[in-house]
Amino acid sequence: MLSYLIRRIFLMVPTLLGITLMVFAISRLAPGDPLSLMMGPESQLDAARAADVREARRKLYGLDQPVYVQYVKWLGQVVRLDFGDSIKHQRPVVALIGERLPVTLVLNLIAFVVIYTVSLPLGVLAAVRHRGWFDQGSSVVLFMLWSLPSMWVGQMLIGYFTGTTFMNWFPPAGLSSNFADELPFFPWLWDRLWHLVLPVLTLTYAGFAYLTKQVRAGMLDNLRMDYVRTARAKGLSQAVVVFRHAFRNSVIPVITIMATLLPAMFAGSVIVESIFSVPGMGLLAFEAVTTRDYNVVMAVATIAGTLNLLGLLLADVAYAIADPRITFGRSGV
Amino acid sequence: MSAEQVKQVEADRPGRDRGSWGRSYGQLVAREFYKSRINIASLVFILLLFLVAVLAPFLANDKPYAIKVGGGWSFPLFRSLNAVDYMVLLSAALGVVLWVLIRRNQRRVEPSARGEVLARQLGGAGLVLAVGIVLLQVLVPARLDATDYKALVASGEAEEAYFAPVPFGYARTELAAREQGPSEVHWLGTDDVGADVLSRLIHGSRISLSVGFVAVGISSIVGVVIGSLLGYFGGKVDFVGMRLVEIMMAIPTFFLIITIVAFFPRSLLNIMIIIGITSWTGNARFIRAEFFKLRGQDFVQAARVLGLPLRSVLFRHMLPNGVAPVLVNATFGIAGAIFIEAALSFLGFGVAPPTPSWGQMLSLGVNTSGRFLWWLTMFPGLAIFLTVLAYNLVGEGLRDAIDPRLRKAL
Repeated sequence: MLSYLIRRIFLMVPTLLGITLMVFAISRLAPGDPLSLMMGPESQLDAARAADVREARRKLYGLDQPVYVQYVKWLGQVVRLDFGDSIKHQRPVVALIGERLPVTLVLNLIAFVVIYTVSLPLGVLAAVRHRGWFDQGSSVVLFMLWSLPSMWVGQMLIGYFTGTTFMNWFPPAGLSSNFADELPFFPWLWDRLWHLVLPVLTLTYAGFAYLTKQVRAGMLDNLRMDYVRTARAKGLSQAVVVFRHAFRNSVIPVITIMATLLPAMFAGSVIVESIFSVPGMGLLAFEAVTTRDYNVVMAVATIAGTLNLLGLLLADVAYAIADPRITFGRSGV
Repeated sequence: MSAEQVKQVEADRPGRDRGSWGRSYGQLVAREFYKSRINIASLVFILLLFLVAVLAPFLANDKPYAIKVGGGWSFPLFRSLNAVDYMVLLSAALGVVLWVLIRRNQRRVEPSARGEVLARQLGGAGLVLAVGIVLLQVLVPARLDATDYKALVASGEAEEAYFAPVPFGYARTELAAREQGPSEVHWLGTDDVGADVLSRLIHGSRISLSVGFVAVGISSIVGVVIGSLLGYFGGKVDFVGMRLVEIMMAIPTFFLIITIVAFFPRSLLNIMIIIGITSWTGNARFIRAEFFKLRGQDFVQAARVLGLPLRSVLFRHMLPNGVAPVLVNATFGIAGAIFIEAALSFLGFGVAPPTPSWGQMLSLGVNTSGRFLWWLTMFPGLAIFLTVLAYNLVGEGLRDAIDPRLRKAL
C-alpha cells in the first residue's frame, strides 16, 4: 500500500510538470505581447523613448532571455507559490486566489452534499423498484435534467425568481446583501444561504442524473449477487437486505466518483459564478481571461489542474483502501 | 480489390434479396436502434434540424423569392445567396447522395468489398466537395443587396412578391422594433437591436450543428490515433502517452477553452478546433483499453506476421473491432460540443455578431438595465436544450443497440 502511494505520488511529478509546461506554452504562444499592453497610448508620442522603456521592461521582466530559461524561472516561482501580481487588481495573485478559492470550494461542497442527499435515495429506490414506474419515470426526468444547459437554467431562474419582472423571491447576484457584515451570526448565515439557493440549484441538477445512474447500476449489480439471495433466504427483511447488505457494497465506488466530478465542477463554476456574480475562482478566471490578466490565468489553470490531479489520486487511494480486492500491480496505474 | 474485381463481384452477386448475405453488424445495430420510438423521434428531430440549417436562407430571409416590378420578374433571394450558402447546399446534396449509395451498397455489393467501395465513394465525394468549395469561393461574388423589398411592396411599386415564411434577415437592425415580445409580425419577438428572434434561431442552427460535427470529428480522430498507438505498443509509449492524457484530464478543459478562445483570433473554425483538441481523452482511453485486449489475439498476430504496415494493422484490422464505444462517445460528444459552443457564446467568447448563435442570443435574455426578456431566454435555451437532448438520446439508444447485454442488465 505504502509503495503504491509513493509510486503514485512520484508519477504525479511528470504530470504536474506537463501541466505547467502547457500553461506556460499557451501564455507564450498567444498573440499579443504583454509589453504592448503595458505601454499605453502615451508611448506613441515619443517613439525613441518608448523603445528604450520597452527594452528596459523587457529586461526587467526577463523577456529577453530564451524561452526555456523563462520557463524554468517561472517554474521556480510557482514551486514557491509565487505567481506574481495581478495586472488588473495590482495585488499578488496568491492573495487573490486565497480569497476566491474558499468561496468556490464552499459552493461546490454544498453542491456535493445536495447531489448525494438527493441521488443516493433516488438511486436506491430506482434499483429496488427496478422497471417499475418510479424507476422509468425518474430516469426520464433525470435524463432531461442532465441535458439542460446550465446557462439557460441560470438565466431562467434569475428571470423568473429575481428582479421585478416576475417573482422577486431571491437575490439575483452576489453572496450577501449590503451591510450583511453588520448582522449577527444567524441572520448573516440566513442571508448567505438565501443568496446561495439559486447558484447551488444551477450547479447541482445535472449531477443528480449522473450520480443516481451510478447508484442505481451499483445497487442492481449487488442485488443480483448470491450473498443478497442468501440474505433473503435467511429471512432478513427487505430493509436489512437493501441497506445493510447491498447498499454498503454499492456505495463505495459512488463515493470515489466525487473526485472525477471535480474537474466538471470547476467548469460549472465558471458558468454559474459568472451568471450569478459569485466572487469565486470561476468568476476570477472568467474576468482574468477577458482582461488578459496573464498571471492570474496561469495561476488559476495551474492550481485548478493540481487540485484536480490530487482529487484523482485521492479517489484511487480511497478506492484501494475501501476495497481490499484492488491490487497494486503495474497495470493499475 | 480493383474496380474490375468489384464489378465482377457485383455481376456475380447471388441475388437481389439482401437476405442471402445475412446481416452485417451495422444492420443488426440499426435494427436494434430503430426498435425504440424515442430513438426514431430523436433522429427525426436531428434530421429536421439539419434541414432547417441547410435551408436557412430559404426559410428566413428579408428578400423575396420572386418579385414583379414594372412587369418584369426578378429573384432577389436566389441572387443574394453567398458562397457559404452554396457550400452548405453542396455538402447536403453530397450527404444525400452518399446515403443513397450506402443503401445501394448494402443491396448490391458483397459484404467483404463494401469497405473498399465505400472508401472510393467517400474519396469521390471529398474530391467533389473540395473542388466545389474552391470553385464557389472564386465564382460566387459577395453581393450586397440593400433594396428594401418590403417598402417596394408597401408602396405598391411591386405588383406581386413572394416572401420566405419568416420574412426577416438575421442581421436586421431596426431600433424602433427592439426588445418586443412575441407578436403576429415577430412570432418569437425581437432582440436588443430589433432583429427577429426566429430568423436568428434558424440561422443560428448552422453554428451549433457544424460545431458539433467538426469538433467531434477532430476529437475522434485524435483520440483514436493516440489511443490505438498507446494500446498497441504499451510499455514506455503507453506510459508517456498516459501522462499526456492525465495532463489533459487534470487541466480544467472549459477554462482551457475560454483561455485559448480569448487569446487567439476568434473564428468558428478556431472554436471547433479547440473544442476538438481538448476533448479527445475519453476516446483515447476507450480505444487504448480495447486495443490492450485485442493485440494478443490471433488475427492481429496474423496481420503482423504477414508484414502489413502498422497503419493497416491498427486501423483496418484492429479498429473495426473496437470502434463501437467511439461511435457512442461521438454522439454524446456532439451534444457536449454544442453545449460548450453555446456556453462560450453565452459568456461572450463565441463568433462575432451579427452572426447568430444560440448561446449569444441567450445572453441577451437579461438586458443591461436588468429587465428580463423571457422570449430571448426561453426560445434559444429551448433550442439548445432540445438539440442536446436529442443527441444524448441518440447516444443512449446507440449504446443500448450496440450492447444489448447492457440494456438487459440495467
